[in-house]
Amino acid sequence: MHYLLMGNPNCGKSALFSRLTGSHVVVSNYSGTTVEFASGKMNLEGKTEKLMDIPGTFSLQPSNKAEEAAVELLEEGGAIINVLDATNLERSLYLTLQLLQIGKPMIVVLNMWDEVMKNDIEIDHQALEALLGVPVVTTCALTGDGLITLKNRLPEARTGGLSADNNSNLWQAVESITKKIQTKGEAPETFWQKLDHTTIHPISGPVIALVVLFFSFAIVAWIGDWLHEEIFDEAFDLLWLPVAEYLSITMGSSGWLHDILIGELIDGQINFEESFGLLTTGLFIPIAVVLPFVFCFYLVLSLLEDIGYLPRLGVVIDGFLQRLGLHGLSIVPMMLGVGCNVPGVMAGRVLETKKQRFIVATLIAIVVPCMAQQAMVIGLLGKAGVTGLAIVYGTLFILWIMLGVIMNLFIKGKAPEMLIDLPSYRIPYWQSSVKKIYMRMNSFIKHALPYVLLGVFIVNIFYTMGIIDLISSFFAPVITTLFGLPGEAGAALIVGFLRKDVAIGMLVPLGMELQQLIVASIVLMVYFPCVATFVVLFKELGWLDLLKLTLIMLVVVLLTGAGLNFLLNLTGI
Amino acid sequence: MQKTLTELNRKEKAEIISLNGGRTMQHRLEKMGIRKHQIISRINSQFMRGPVVISMNGHQTAIGRGMASRILVRPLNSGIPK
Ligand SMILES: Nc1nc2c(ncn2[C@@H]2O[C@H](COP(=O)(O)OP(=O)(O)O)[C@@H](O)[C@H]2O)c(=O)[nH]1
Repeated sequence: MHYLLMGNPNCGKSALFSRLTGSHVVVSNYSGTTVEFASGKMNLEGKTEKLMDIPGTFSLQPSNKAEEAAVELLEEGGAIINVLDATNLERSLYLTLQLLQIGKPMIVVLNMWDEVMKNDIEIDHQALEALLGVPVVTTCALTGDGLITLKNRLPEARTGGLSADNNSNLWQAVESITKKIQTKGEAPETFWQKLDHTTIHPISGPVIALVVLFFSFAIVAWIGDWLHEEIFDEAFDLLWLPVAEYLSITMGSSGWLHDILIGELIDGQINFEESFGLLTTGLFIPIAVVLPFVFCFYLVLSLLEDIGYLPRLGVVIDGFLQRLGLHGLSIVPMMLGVGCNVPGVMAGRVLETKKQRFIVATLIAIVVPCMAQQAMVIGLLGKAGVTGLAIVYGTLFILWIMLGVIMNLFIKGKAPEMLIDLPSYRIPYWQSSVKKIYMRMNSFIKHALPYVLLGVFIVNIFYTMGIIDLISSFFAPVITTLFGLPGEAGAALIVGFLRKDVAIGMLVPLGMELQQLIVASIVLMVYFPCVATFVVLFKELGWLDLLKLTLIMLVVVLLTGAGLNFLLNLTGI
Repeated sequence: MQKTLTELNRKEKAEIISLNGGRTMQHRLEKMGIRKHQIISRINSQFMRGPVVISMNGHQTAIGRGMASRILVRPLNSGIPK
């Protein structure tokens, strides 16, 4: 039998999931048709049982696609481990009673028990057990208290005995249970609550948000760059260069196989950035350049997420996002999109309507560059100071607003308002944060590395077959006249469809001027998302909307590329 | 005296009297526990027609401005807990 972890958002499910599955056996699962969920194995009385972490939901009548997925997964069978945030008993019980009604074996977990004790709340969990007719255990996922009892009692999971009548009486049932088993004192305002009020204050809130966003970006850019330059770059030179050189010499420093595996020798030397072989640039880009940035990004994101800042950022930025046809919660898919567009587009499912999902997907695909692109662009432009980077990010920001406002005006459909719960600030449980970062990195490596290698491979094949020249001359009118770029950059556009980081890497040997580098970076960032994103967009939006998105994208890229080229020519940077 | 949630002052406590919206709105609010007879207090709101943040049972919820303007409440006297 498998077990399903179900509960409201932020009740501590993921933390419990980490605890129950232990550190050894975790299978992350990004299924194509359901929302991201984790599935792992736990050890129960010597047997291995499957445990699934289901997206958080408030009720069994879903109001967005993420909740729909939760309900679907529930239909597949298994026993339910219903996790409750015990500090918010009443609201959590609403779901519990609904779950009881579907008549599956179930066990109730009162998590956050440490907070219950701290906050002067008394809950009679034995009485609750008697009322619900299913086992009730108390846990603190942070310290692991109560986990052994939970494991021991899992096999006791059974169908409940409560005879809740119908939905309209559900809240009354919840209230009467709560009244019987809980007494709550007036808790004094804590430091965290005061901090909380400051972060959503109409004036200090936005200021703090800007500071947080600035530092997040700065940390990723600086530490990412440091890791790249000082650690990964050095490690490649020290450990991998000798191997690559040995292989190169063994193959006689030339020939087609040499060209594909090692690439071109620059001044008789292997150059990881420019040689463009599978075993040189093909490994160097994803591992030494992109990975450090991706790692830093997920570190920062997980921290913001696990502390509980993201929904507050959503509150502060909501008014602004409404002008784009969205609401505060869309900050989550967009932030995820900054890591990688694929999970970003998928997370768009937290939004309620088709219009909102289209807008958020289009914005992510067109103006939110993933970390892989940013890492390459930071490397490419950063060498010449911050001007280039400032222009690139400034342009993207302006595009983001303009595109959003325009789409909001012209796309039909409803844009419901935000309604979200603001979970209290909490100290993250480091083990589940680490696990989350690991899962995200793992999925990055698994998905990115093959495409990067394929991209580099295709570039080589194209070069040997002379296709690059063909493409270049075909695109030359647009590329050269409109964008002011060398014709060879056209090849990068083709490869960019596969992997943007490889495409930006192709710009390195072209020796372009700063102005050209800026235009090329923007064009590559804005035009076609990589093929992996394209596939998810197709799944999420369908072909008609994808076609619309593509047309919008083509218009945006032509206007922006040409406009920027023109402006930069005028100002003469 | 009745007010809408948007008219409630900062830190003022009130009881929810009714949710004057469509079925979808009521449903969205209710499943998060925002329903008749609940005691809430307003924490604050944001500029640019951003959401109103309320506190209920010691937990906070951000409610879109339009929705908040359709929630009727009755302020409880003085608003200062004993
Ligand atoms: N104090 C306390 N914090 C907890 C407990 N369980 C989880 N947390 C924290 O609550 C936050 C939300 O937990 P998470 O597992 O991400 O919730 P999920 O959204 O239900 O998966 C995290 O910051 C956790 O570290 C607990 O028992 N006690």
